[in-house]
Amino acid sequence: MSAAGGAVQAQPEPLDESETRRRPYGLLLVAAPVLLVGWLVIWPIVSAVIRTLWQPADDGGYEFTLETYVFFFSDRYSLDNLTVTLWTTGMCALFLLVICLPISLYLRFSVGRLPAYVQSLAIFPMFVPSIILAYAFIRVLGPNGMVDILLNAVGLPKIRTPYLTPWGPVIGLVWDNIPLTVLILLSGLGNVSNQAIEAARDVGARWLQVLWYIILPRIGNSILVALSFSVLGIFSSFTLPYVLGPAAPEMMGPFMQRTFRDVNDPQMAITQAVITFGFCIVFGLFYVRSVARNRGK
Amino acid sequence: MKRREFMLAAGAVAGSTMLPRLAFAEAGRIDWYTASDSNILDFWTNTVKPAFEAANQGITLNLVDAGDGSGLTAIAERAIAAMDTNTDPQADMFESHDPLVPAGAVEAGLWVNVREAGLSNVDKVNPAAWQTDYSLPYRGSQVLLAYDTTKLSPADAPKNWDDLVAWIKANPGQFIYNRPDKGGSGGNFVRRAIHQANGLDPAAFTLDNYTDEFAQEALGKAWDILADIAPSLYDNGAYTSGNTQSIQLLAQGVVTMTPVWSDQVLQAMNEGVLPEDTGLVQLQDLALVGGFSAMTFLSNGVNKDVALQLGDFMLSEEMQTAILTEIGGFPGVSWDYVSPELRERFADIVPTSIPTFPGGPWGEAINDGWYRNVAPNVPRDS
Repeated sequence: MSAAGGAVQAQPEPLDESETRRRPYGLLLVAAPVLLVGWLVIWPIVSAVIRTLWQPADDGGYEFTLETYVFFFSDRYSLDNLTVTLWTTGMCALFLLVICLPISLYLRFSVGRLPAYVQSLAIFPMFVPSIILAYAFIRVLGPNGMVDILLNAVGLPKIRTPYLTPWGPVIGLVWDNIPLTVLILLSGLGNVSNQAIEAARDVGARWLQVLWYIILPRIGNSILVALSFSVLGIFSSFTLPYVLGPAAPEMMGPFMQRTFRDVNDPQMAITQAVITFGFCIVFGLFYVRSVARNRGK
Repeated sequence: MKRREFMLAAGAVAGSTMLPRLAFAEAGRIDWYTASDSNILDFWTNTVKPAFEAANQGITLNLVDAGDGSGLTAIAERAIAAMDTNTDPQADMFESHDPLVPAGAVEAGLWVNVREAGLSNVDKVNPAAWQTDYSLPYRGSQVLLAYDTTKLSPADAPKNWDDLVAWIKANPGQFIYNRPDKGGSGGNFVRRAIHQANGLDPAAFTLDNYTDEFAQEALGKAWDILADIAPSLYDNGAYTSGNTQSIQLLAQGVVTMTPVWSDQVLQAMNEGVLPEDTGLVQLQDLALVGGFSAMTFLSNGVNKDVALQLGDFMLSEEMQTAILTEIGGFPGVSWDYVSPELRERFADIVPTSIPTFPGGPWGEAINDGWYRNVAPNVPRDS
């Protein structure tokens, strides 16, 4: 970032000056997690890519082939599933931003008892297992559920229930992801100093201007991190789309599981997994980039 | 305890569980795995285990929940690998498993041929229940149609497939079945449609006569039937994701009729989830498909012989009676071996015949085909 250029002189100095002593300890500390990540994450990915690209040939050997990928990208049904997954993820990201940003702004800039209660309410979904959420959803928003009963009591027509439609998983996933998003945005809002806002107010900035020119530029990174975190989880989510969503098109999570287990086609399931991973890596790069940018400051 | 001490202790405990553990199967301890629902695991824990252990001093049962079918498949694959290296698979039997999975298990000699294992009760098994010689059927259940008697009087309930289709079309939005791979009630409704499309002859489908061409042709006709009724289903063609959700929609008065497992609907009525006057009806032209759960035994299990003894024990009158009374299942043995008094009591739900449908490649073809041809609500002429 060019704006940070002037601050380069203020680089933090390492606490321990002697390079030789510092290096092995640092490496040792990260060795275990790095090895675990390599073993449980990186290696399965590499092996999945290899397994889908080098498949057993008719002559008993292995040959390079793109067959399963060609099938996926030429198969209407698979593509519909990918589309609905992208749509769900996009919708969830949008709703999360629209819902969580006001909540975190409120929590950051208000004092007293009430915000504490609002915060615990916003964090609450974190402690509800998604399978329980799914069944509660059916009872409340499902057909003849609580909402219908309440509406009926005051003489209003029933709602068009989102249960078993693509909106079902969207509502469930948004609710499930509110805590994480709020927490990350809140920590980002901690960077916005009260003085900056007061100064802006003093020169006559309105609420919207303060938000646009003072707050948003400061928390842009946090928004990116929060969204890429939730998006990564949502893209590969399983329980909520499985229980609440329609039979078809289905999201990649249930689709992969079904292909693997019920259609008994591991090769295709791995291909779907690699494609899913390809999309997730893009979201992941956003996250890594913003962290790296933060570090560079 | 101070917070820091607590964290340290918790970390140490968590760490110790991650240490590699060496485990060996114990002699006299049957390592048993299941992928069934918790009602079955409860039944084994509370009824079978005490009875068998009391009858066989020194033998214990180690009941393990493998989660789902793929859990069992993984253990079976491990056992095949153990065969090659002559090591201990740490597994003796599966509560309910298709011996054709994983592919090649039968050829590798993983499963004990139960017909030739010399079990004393093996001749009592209901002949309709046998699918292969490598698994021992011991309990069954069948899919019925459950309906809301406040909206549909028992006299008007459809008794054959054509009446059912006519009723579904005349009452749009009042019928739902679950996705065929997510629970047997919807799965066997779909299989009943396959029977309907292929001359009502369950014998037309066997494990051995599967070919891609035959499946394409036979199942294609069934997809036409199911796609035809789809617009008249709940929400213009929605499908629940499991047996329980179908029952839930019936209980909430959303739909009037849904296919259900006989044992689950009896349990739901007992527990008050469904009202006691819930109507149950079976199609008379050809019943909906039922299924038998069959135990498989690992030929390289350390306790293979006692496990087989347990399998034999499950076919005893004591256990077969318990299956009827405790979990609402059908006996795996022929009805002649069930006490007349019980035969009388369960006469209504007990079918005279239970049509079955082969698993293996058929199951995969159905699961894939239904999702592609029926679920998306696509017009077939496109």
